[in-house]
Amino acid sequence: MSDCISLRESMPLLLAEELDPVSRELSHQHIENCPVCAGEWAAIKATWSLLGDLPEEEVPAHVKQRFLQRAGLAAEPAPANVVPFTRRPALKWIAQAAAVVLLVGGAYYAGDYNADRFEPAPLNVERIGERPLDAITPVSLSESRVLNAKALSPDIQGRPNIANVQFVDADASDDQIAVSFDVTSHWTVTGNPKEKSIVRLLSYMLENEEAMTPRSGAMEWVRRTYSDPANADPEIANALAKVLRNDAHEGVRLRAVETLTTLPPEVAVQTRDALIEALKSDPNPAVRLKAVEALARMTSKGDMLDAAMLDTLRAKASQDDENLYVRVKAAEALRNIKPN
Amino acid sequence: MKHLTDQELMKIVQAGDYSPASELYDRHSKWIYNFASRILRNPELAEDATQEVFLRMIRHAHTFKDNASLRTWLYAITSNWCRDYFRRADNQAVKEGDEVLATLQAPFAERPDQRIEQSSTARMVKAALDKLTHDQREAIVLARYHEMSHDEIAKVVGCSVGAVKTRIFRAMESLRNILNPVAPQSVATPVEESPVEETNV
Repeated sequence: MSDCISLRESMPLLLAEELDPVSRELSHQHIENCPVCAGEWAAIKATWSLLGDLPEEEVPAHVKQRFLQRAGLAAEPAPANVVPFTRRPALKWIAQAAAVVLLVGGAYYAGDYNADRFEPAPLNVERIGERPLDAITPVSLSESRVLNAKALSPDIQGRPNIANVQFVDADASDDQIAVSFDVTSHWTVTGNPKEKSIVRLLSYMLENEEAMTPRSGAMEWVRRTYSDPANADPEIANALAKVLRNDAHEGVRLRAVETLTTLPPEVAVQTRDALIEALKSDPNPAVRLKAVEALARMTSKGDMLDAAMLDTLRAKASQDDENLYVRVKAAEALRNIKPN
Repeated sequence: MKHLTDQELMKIVQAGDYSPASELYDRHSKWIYNFASRILRNPELAEDATQEVFLRMIRHAHTFKDNASLRTWLYAITSNWCRDYFRRADNQAVKEGDEVLATLQAPFAERPDQRIEQSSTARMVKAALDKLTHDQREAIVLARYHEMSHDEIAKVVGCSVGAVKTRIFRAMESLRNILNPVAPQSVATPVEESPVEETNV
């Protein structure tokens, strides 16, 4: 009996393998020969095993931040160009009024260029293009403006979207403060698709992939508008070529190839350049395939390729590690070329 | 700093440069947080404990012996913090009665998401651990989840190896009865717990 009690006391040590070899061996011999201790040992082992089901937990990230802050080790320097805003009691009402007026009126003023001729008015839609042509001053869409708070409209209309608000007191010795912010205003630019200004604007938007949502929808709109030979413009083809070169999303690049193939023959040179470049360097085989198919169709219609393009097609047709279908289509494009 | 040992990093801290604290936190915080969480049974308290343990590591760096295990030392600090916490809670409970609830966070709390995520076995194990005494829970947690020998546990909690052995034995008896009721009931044993010598870090 005393052996059994002694053994059971040592069972945790036996579990943790902390018993010396001799004691371990003796313990196991006892367990084999004593049914009561064998049952006890089985139960202890099962319990030990069950305890292992308690999962480990991750330390929440904010704990480290708090620790580093309290230890004085979290350095988060303020931007050098922003002066911390300290409210001055004497200017409190001015600061509050200026902030409210600025936020409300900013959206309106963002649509107007010249602060000197500003007259406070409710937010509205201003149709700049309806002024006589000679009265239009070219409008830059990207501009940083500074204006006097008194010039702002007191009307709250339109609830402008503001972001990146900063309070600035550039000179603590004067009685001026400033509130700077970005305000989102919505622009509608109208014009004929053939106008260079519209083409440039569309090209800029095609190249700014983040601005187009959804991008495939914008591409479809470009296809519909610029597949018309009357609107042919090489700048659109060049913009699509840039999308093809730079867009990270293969779905968008595929749509760019499709859109390029619908452009009229007037921009065939730019289209061919873009397709050859995609065939040569696009990392996605589906895009390369679409590009080589388009090239094969173009050559079957009698479009001419220059020597460098022919070299690219030949290289693709014989490239061992290229997708087989791409190779076949490259060979087909070469076969379609008619001798002069 | 990743290539330096704990002892080398602590030498830098001892010299007054606290920059290795972040690296030391990354190496050991998970262990400390889980230990504190299993003892305090409240995730917010475990966060406080973790933060305090590493602050004490910096403040008391000069008492760290360079041949010691940093993790064992941090466990000892955690053990003391938890013990202090329960002592404060007890004192306030005596002084202020129910008002203690307003000033100290209640242990045993779980976030609702944790409750959902845990398996039924994990919940059962947690509930079983909750039924142990503080000393037993501390010893079994260190032995089972932190793979510490009885000798190391004795250093962490500041008692004799014999006391650790007794605590673990008693804890296993209780857990076996709670978790595995089909197993045969154990024979009552005359093991007495050894006197505990408390030492502070």
